[in-house]
Amino acid sequence: MAHAAPSDQLLVARIRDGEPDAWNELIARFEGRLLAFVEGRLGRRSAGEDVVQETFLGFLTSLPNFQDSRPLESYLFSIAAHKLTDHLRREGRRPTLPLATNNSGADWEPPAGGRTVSSAMRSGERRGMEEAALVQALAEQLARLRSRNEWKKMACLELLFVRRWANRDVATKLEMSEQQVANFKFEFIARLRTLVRKQGLSEDVFPELHEKA
Amino acid sequence: MAEPITAADLEAYLDEALPVETMSRIEQALRDEPKLAEELASINSRRDAGIHSVGEIWRRHRLSCPSREQLGSLLLGVVEADLAEYIRFHLEVSGCRTCRANLDDLKSHQRDEPAAVDKRRKKYFQSSAGHLRKR
Repeated sequence: MAHAAPSDQLLVARIRDGEPDAWNELIARFEGRLLAFVEGRLGRRSAGEDVVQETFLGFLTSLPNFQDSRPLESYLFSIAAHKLTDHLRREGRRPTLPLATNNSGADWEPPAGGRTVSSAMRSGERRGMEEAALVQALAEQLARLRSRNEWKKMACLELLFVRRWANRDVATKLEMSEQQVANFKFEFIARLRTLVRKQGLSEDVFPELHEKA
Repeated sequence: MAEPITAADLEAYLDEALPVETMSRIEQALRDEPKLAEELASINSRRDAGIHSVGEIWRRHRLSCPSREQLGSLLLGVVEADLAEYIRFHLEVSGCRTCRANLDDLKSHQRDEPAAVDKRRKKYFQSSAGHLRKR
């Protein structure tokens, strides 16, 4: 899912050329899943359709900034999530975030391993590069698991890194030993660090790469 | 008793990435527990400062999501047992909202009236086509 499908890239190119048929095709391809995404949260079909409508408008408005290498579906879902958040705030359902009390952003330090990020406020471009490097490293590792049908390992890593469950909870849920979970984690982190280093980037911007297995 | 709300849950909450019922539970907790709201604000500040969490990036790029074709095959019952088990895990335990939306959409194809779908798509097109131009 990390890379754009060629058929999506072609569709976006036609939309950039102002082709109404291409725009119609994009709507037909994605509106159903976007509506399902927002409707469950809003509980009303008409409000859901309004948010999807705003999502499509948002896509056309942001098209000059859209990078063709980015998967189209993820991009549309991220616009829908923003539009949905705005809608829920307007309705008063989603609380407005208070300002952080002790962390102004610039003086925030990562929680793991006692390491600090030398320059927390980095340029958007730099952040983009770091994110792309990590995505490539993760995608490479996950592709290996897929090709070997190692689905249980994939589930284990998903719980560890996406849900950030503790080793013990993961082991219980997946009926594995804690040692097995720790081994998977160690192996995965070690390989990620190597891949990130290979791309000439500092591992320090990813604090989790220094956590104990 | 409901499971405690973790920092990873709050990160996912900011991205509208959790199942609907969990999102509602977190919203309620944010109203009731000022400390949780502070933690959320702190996570938001960290993100503004550009500090990456592997989980956020993983989720944002949908790195372990099954493809839509695989979700369709799951509905048809033609996916190998191990993969089917993983997809169900991804939907139910990981709670991937985007994949759930895809699955719900695929299910709705058997349910929704084609005329109603057509009407909806026309509405989207007519309200946006004016913004379509050669760029």
